[in-house]
Amino acid sequence: MFRIIGKRLVEVVLFVLFVTFCSFLFLRLAPGDPALTILNVDELNVSQEQVEVLREDMGFNDPLIVQYGKWLLDFIRLDFGNSYITNQPVSEMLMTGLPATLELTIGSLIVMLIVAIPLGSLSALYKGSWIDHVSRYFSIIGAAVPSFWLGLIFIDMFAVRLNWFPTMGRDSLLSLVLPAVTLGLAIAGVYVRLLRSSLLDSLGQEFVRAARARGIAEKRIFFSHAFRYSLPPVITVFGVSLGSLIGGVVVVEVLFAYPGVGKLVVDSIRQRDYPLIQGYIVLMAAIVFVVNTLVDLSYRYVNPELRLKKGS
Amino acid sequence: MRKLWKQVIGLIGLVLLLAACTDNAGSEKDGKHLTFVYNFATNSLDPNVDSSYVPLRAGLTETLVQLNEETLTIEPWLAESWEGRNEGREWTITLREGVNFQNGEPMNAEAVKASLERSLKDNVAIQNALKIDSIEATDDMTLQVTNTQAFPEFISELVNPNVSIIDVEAGDFVNNPIGTGPFKLESFTPGSKLELVRNEDYWDEKAKLDSVTFSFNEDANARSLALESGDADVVFRPEVESIESLEAKDGIKVESTETFRVHQMTMNMQREALQDVNVRKAVDALIDRDKIADSVLLGYAQPAKGPFPESLPFAPSYSEHETGSDLAKEYLEKAGYSLEDGKMQKDGEPLTLTMLTYSARADLPLIAQIFQSDAKKIGIDVELRQIEIPEEYMAANRDWDLATYSNLTAPRGDAGYYLNATYHPDGALNFSGADEPELTKIIDELNVTVDADKRAELAEAAANYVDEHQINSFVIYPDTLVAYDETKVKNWVTTRSEYYMITNKLDVK
Repeated sequence: MFRIIGKRLVEVVLFVLFVTFCSFLFLRLAPGDPALTILNVDELNVSQEQVEVLREDMGFNDPLIVQYGKWLLDFIRLDFGNSYITNQPVSEMLMTGLPATLELTIGSLIVMLIVAIPLGSLSALYKGSWIDHVSRYFSIIGAAVPSFWLGLIFIDMFAVRLNWFPTMGRDSLLSLVLPAVTLGLAIAGVYVRLLRSSLLDSLGQEFVRAARARGIAEKRIFFSHAFRYSLPPVITVFGVSLGSLIGGVVVVEVLFAYPGVGKLVVDSIRQRDYPLIQGYIVLMAAIVFVVNTLVDLSYRYVNPELRLKKGS
Repeated sequence: MRKLWKQVIGLIGLVLLLAACTDNAGSEKDGKHLTFVYNFATNSLDPNVDSSYVPLRAGLTETLVQLNEETLTIEPWLAESWEGRNEGREWTITLREGVNFQNGEPMNAEAVKASLERSLKDNVAIQNALKIDSIEATDDMTLQVTNTQAFPEFISELVNPNVSIIDVEAGDFVNNPIGTGPFKLESFTPGSKLELVRNEDYWDEKAKLDSVTFSFNEDANARSLALESGDADVVFRPEVESIESLEAKDGIKVESTETFRVHQMTMNMQREALQDVNVRKAVDALIDRDKIADSVLLGYAQPAKGPFPESLPFAPSYSEHETGSDLAKEYLEKAGYSLEDGKMQKDGEPLTLTMLTYSARADLPLIAQIFQSDAKKIGIDVELRQIEIPEEYMAANRDWDLATYSNLTAPRGDAGYYLNATYHPDGALNFSGADEPELTKIIDELNVTVDADKRAELAEAAANYVDEHQINSFVIYPDTLVAYDETKVKNWVTTRSEYYMITNKLDVK
């Protein structure tokens, strides 16, 4: 296990270098100029000369590699720089928003589990029955409906008409419900189908037939053998789809005015606030990396077969 | 596995229980309370730096002078009076007596000096805008300001919310700035909302409301829904498409107010075809302003005649522009074009125009499309090109003829900003490439003129010059929309400057 973590650490360094350099490159190549935002040309009178002076001062005229090098040196000292727009340290701004984002992510994962586990299991157990059809439609709709639209429907139904939940903000657990359900349902569709097919696969395995032959109760076979065996592919896909989950969080945060890092980065992209965007990318890369490592480690516990293979 | 199920069910139960115990979004507050939803979120309340201007908008901070929304002139606020000398190079500012910061510290010349110096130091845009060389506190209530150059519109620049006066000794500017406004900050959740309470020691008439929630939501649909659900009492810029359904609801009022913004058609005068004023006039004649106001903004806009809305004191009395495709054809004929094979041609070359537009302002691409289809009817092909950041693209590339653009023309009640930025050869927004000696001379003269009437005359002269030579075309003045619960909210004023939102007058029934 320590060897895995050690190897992973080397990987993470290369990964961070790669991700930050690419994002740095794309950000700078993309149109947009923070100098214009900083000088507030929309409202204040500046001359082209002043724009040029600021560009020079901020180092925007330096070659890209020099700009990246400077950023990297600061980054190694754990200095993410200050936001161009608010002058605050980027790390502080990200840390203020992170709890809300984690809360929303965990909330939507819980919703996803509550929906996907029963629906996926039942549609595998009763393949071809009405519940299987329902789950298929659910998945198709879940994949096709954009989460901002779903969110608006929920706001209209549960906040405006029924008045059960607030429309926006983050005041109590009640304000978590609608955004978490919106995002949870949006991602649940994928996992329902995945769990179903994985379960069908494991139910057809020999060890299940052997267990049946030994007269073990169906219920026990399902929970202690088949279900556990079906988890690794689902967990693998989770690691992969983490990125799209983060993207979904961003959309939902904006819609529900949920003050997380996703909302923060949307604002900073609009304003070309490079240090903040770059900091966000590093943070997300770190999260994706940690989760993927956990996913890798978890195989060994979920599926004993892997542990045996490595040992032998 | 069974244990896992039990745990999951237990967890859900706990969540529901906790949710049931918590107060519903704090909507029930003691006393007179109002919830306002604004369309941009901010993560910092630093009044001197952040361009969201939320501290001023929320009634936390105030500036030395303010814009009178009715006369659209500058009037005293924290400053009582001012006097300029030497073409506006030097200024004496007398402060209002008896004003305290929200922490009880007196607002005096030293405190204002420190606050101004801080905004100059931390905000390069303000440094450029104010052009201050030095500030001196000559006595307890008097400041002497020396500018780096003759600068007659100095006082009007002090309207800028980034020049809010705060107690710089107080520290945490980002989370808790200490201003002089009618409301004090109780709590701030970055990106989400501010909770405000009445400032009992306010220097002017005390606020009528006990508390205010100033929250943010960038989604226009969600804002409209918040108003419908009763989570919000006033929402800024609800979605235009939802106005009809909002108005149909009992008690909801939608207010639309003209602003200082104009949607314009920028003409690239460096392109051969557009160097001929007749071609520019033809373009102008092709803009169907009424159709655009009605179909793109559903009537929440006024057809524009020039850069400055006519209600501004320095707006000229614009000549009536005739429009229509027949007139456009006439102008094109004057420029030597004729219609052949369904195309407007000159020397065998058909007239095709490349037009830039961008989606950050949703109205603009629609305006471009309407123009494109009207131009096609008289044989002009307009190629639309979507760009992302217009300021950057237009400054760096000259391969376009026309561009939709939106600009604030008098954000602080003075014409100096727009004329300098857009028509002076050095201006950062001079995308038409205007370099007209006569016009430059007028602007240069404006830049050293102190007297308000004389300034208005010069601004008019400049606007008229732009109009006569058709340097740019002006399409519409879009309105600002605000929707609120009429049965509850009292004294809400949709200001044209969009600076003053939560005031001491605002009340609930």
